[in-house]
Amino acid sequence: MRAWADLDEFQEFLDDGGMVEADDDMPEEYRHEVFRFIEFHANSELMGGLTERDWIPHSPGLRLKQIFLAKTQDEIGHAHLLYMVAADMGIKTRDEMMSDLLAGKTRFHNVFHYRAETWADQIAIAFLVDAAAFASQRAVFAKCTYGPYKRILRRIVGEEGFHMRHGEEMLLKMASGSQVQRDLFQAALERWWWPAVQLFGPDSPPDDPLLNWYIKSERNEALRHAYVQKYVPLLQGYGFTVPDDGLRQDPDTGEWMMSEIDWAPLKATFSNAGPDSARRLANAVRNHAESAWFRESIGVSA
Amino acid sequence: MTASQIYEVFLKADGKGEFRHVGALGAADNEMALLLARECYCRRAEGEQIWVVRRDDISSADSAETAPNRNKSHRHNDGKLVAEHRRQLREGS
Repeated sequence: MRAWADLDEFQEFLDDGGMVEADDDMPEEYRHEVFRFIEFHANSELMGGLTERDWIPHSPGLRLKQIFLAKTQDEIGHAHLLYMVAADMGIKTRDEMMSDLLAGKTRFHNVFHYRAETWADQIAIAFLVDAAAFASQRAVFAKCTYGPYKRILRRIVGEEGFHMRHGEEMLLKMASGSQVQRDLFQAALERWWWPAVQLFGPDSPPDDPLLNWYIKSERNEALRHAYVQKYVPLLQGYGFTVPDDGLRQDPDTGEWMMSEIDWAPLKATFSNAGPDSARRLANAVRNHAESAWFRESIGVSA
Repeated sequence: MTASQIYEVFLKADGKGEFRHVGALGAADNEMALLLARECYCRRAEGEQIWVVRRDDISSADSAETAPNRNKSHRHNDGKLVAEHRRQLREGS
């Protein structure tokens, strides 16, 4: 077990490329912030997996059913691994994390507080939301100083890569389909563009400890900006319109600039007060209750 | 409800490579741990073989115990002295 005399010494260790392990005597500030971050990630994978699952019966065709089954297994698997890593930090048990999530005491990603209304929404989620999550997870993986999280992220980022490719393949089919299909996706894009952009969060505070500790490798606004540069031309290339009247391209740099972002919808999701938060949580609570017999039969909790 | 136990999971890819630690999971017994390991860590056949080991059954030594071995230069030989001697012979100095 390694220990550090104070936060300065710990910071030096991290600055030199040090990696923290679960049995290290890490500073409490680091332990708590990193734990909260991983718990949030785990919650998001679980809530995302549940919504993927809900669409398995509605998938059009056998191949897409298989893909959505696989995606659901991946997301629930990610939650499983992340809860394990989080529990090993010794702050909350898996059971406690699960009951806090179901009681609405902890958070999950903003994008899982909205309703997926049509199959096209699932495609928008796979194409836009999975890509945003992928970019943000890859940026955490890049320098991540918490060893157990970094090793699990390698697996997660790899699997999210498959989801993104599925997303773009599904989008390609919609884009090259009938006018009805194109209209369906355009409507979904209008519902999901802003939540996807907001997934990166508001601008990082100047002294964000997660940046100083190399849990995050890039500021939120930098990730968001890079995402917009990539996805605006992609969507336009498929013939869709990004739902932002103020969107413009800087004549000198060629960079895409968005309108001012309204952060109120994001903030509402922080307190589980998004448009679909209550239904999603109720769904998760019901799912947990209905699967209790299984946990009991195999003798495990949570 | 009985408490689940924590297992460490190791995978070995096809071929000559070694078993490598990939992470952990909670399971009630060995059989369940293998099943969950297959579903959590090996969904795309990332390993050809799987080991699961109860964490409680692992004995470990930390840096306090391994540190003395960092300091044993007599167990290494960087070949510098011999290389210098040979260089001098070659150059006839």
